[in-house]
Amino acid sequence: MSDLAAASRLAASQTAFRVLVVDDDPDMVAFLARILAREGLRVDAEFDGEAALAHIAASPPDLVLLDVLMPGMSGFEVCERIKADPATALIPVVLVTALEDHASRVRGIDTGADDFLSKPVNREELVARVKSLRRLHQTRRELEGRRLAAEIEHKEAIRKTFSRYISPRLADRLIAKSGEAPFDAEAQRINVVALFADLRGFTRLTETFEVGEVVGMLNEYFAVITDAAYRHEGTIFSMAGDCLLVGFNVPFPQPDAALRAWHTAQEMIAGFSPVLSSWVRRGGMSTGVGIGIAAGEAIIGNIGSPHHMSYTIIGDAVNTAARLMQMAKASELLVSGPAYEGIRHAVPAGSVEARGEVALRGRSSATPVYSIRL
Amino acid sequence: MTRGTTRPPYNPENMKENSHKVVIAKDLEDLIPVFLKNRHKEVDTLRVALASADFEQLRQLGHRMKGVGNSYGFERVSAIGKQIEDGARSGDRTALEESIAGYADFLSRVEVAYE
Repeated sequence: MSDLAAASRLAASQTAFRVLVVDDDPDMVAFLARILAREGLRVDAEFDGEAALAHIAASPPDLVLLDVLMPGMSGFEVCERIKADPATALIPVVLVTALEDHASRVRGIDTGADDFLSKPVNREELVARVKSLRRLHQTRRELEGRRLAAEIEHKEAIRKTFSRYISPRLADRLIAKSGEAPFDAEAQRINVVALFADLRGFTRLTETFEVGEVVGMLNEYFAVITDAAYRHEGTIFSMAGDCLLVGFNVPFPQPDAALRAWHTAQEMIAGFSPVLSSWVRRGGMSTGVGIGIAAGEAIIGNIGSPHHMSYTIIGDAVNTAARLMQMAKASELLVSGPAYEGIRHAVPAGSVEARGEVALRGRSSATPVYSIRL
Repeated sequence: MTRGTTRPPYNPENMKENSHKVVIAKDLEDLIPVFLKNRHKEVDTLRVALASADFEQLRQLGHRMKGVGNSYGFERVSAIGKQIEDGARSGDRTALEESIAGYADFLSRVEVAYE
């Protein structure tokens, strides 16, 4: 059909508003296609209801002009099916009919038709109706575009906020998989690797420097150690004073959690070295990061009161890592036996010293401890 | 828009006096030969349907004529289509014969001008 081809060519050069004409009368289709093509619209045609539904499913148009009395499936039935399918329900449908009786109009409204056009078709009325529906369509698209932009902006804001508490990559994962619920309402018992880092001699530093300077120095220190944690997708559960608690294998599984903790510790100490040099030049005393790592069971969940909740980990592994950190000297990493088993192959042999079974405060049994100097 | 509801019943004597000149929009000109060819075929189909007393087909054909005729600008086609649709509903064989004859007469005399 030459009109359809002409309309298609025209549509290729502009944002096409696509109209599907459905009528069993080829003369009616030719007439409607000619008028719509003159308005710069892209027109496709189908000659029965079944073919129309298949066309709409495969290539949803922006508007359907639908004859009512057709052999086989009637226009009423086609309209009902379009409106019953969530994927096509928003496509405007105009029933083009020579039926004039009240019952037919009511039936048309019941099927969900958006508008009616009487046959014989008045071309001015046809153009006016289609233009009106096109404007509505464009407005709806603009609104949808704005809604999507706002949603993206909102997600980005959430991502930025989240990224201050967990690694940015983890934040992206959480947002992408919004169906997942990593921060479960119910607490669960899980195997974790806990890493505690602390600035040795920090209290003395606070006595040496002015308050403003101390805050700046703390920020330099935390910038280094949080970056290291994020690079290895650790989750920061607590930041208090000069102490940081990072968890691995939580909230998402990390089969190589111990290795991640080991690499994080290395980068914390190596990254802090230039910061420390600048502090020494500014007259500060020598200090360094002490780190404790332990692996074992912990409870993860939202802990607190109805007014203030913290998503955190508690339990034996966390307590052990805290005790080890307290014992660690500057630039020393103390690792519990179970955690060391996960990194033994990666640690340079000359840098490790087995401390044997160590009695840690608050624990009934002794814990095997390994010291690694970095 | 003409629906033919106020027109007097078809009368061949009156038709002879009426002008059969129809003015059609210029941009539809290339569609008209096919349109008229289909209308001539329609007359044959109407006659066959009447001969076999297929009033349902007559009603459907009349309904289609009513819709398409004046869309193009052929007011008489829509008017006769309405007469055929009504005649088929009431089973009025005589009225149908007259309408179909009038349709054939109109098509044989129609002169189309474009503007």
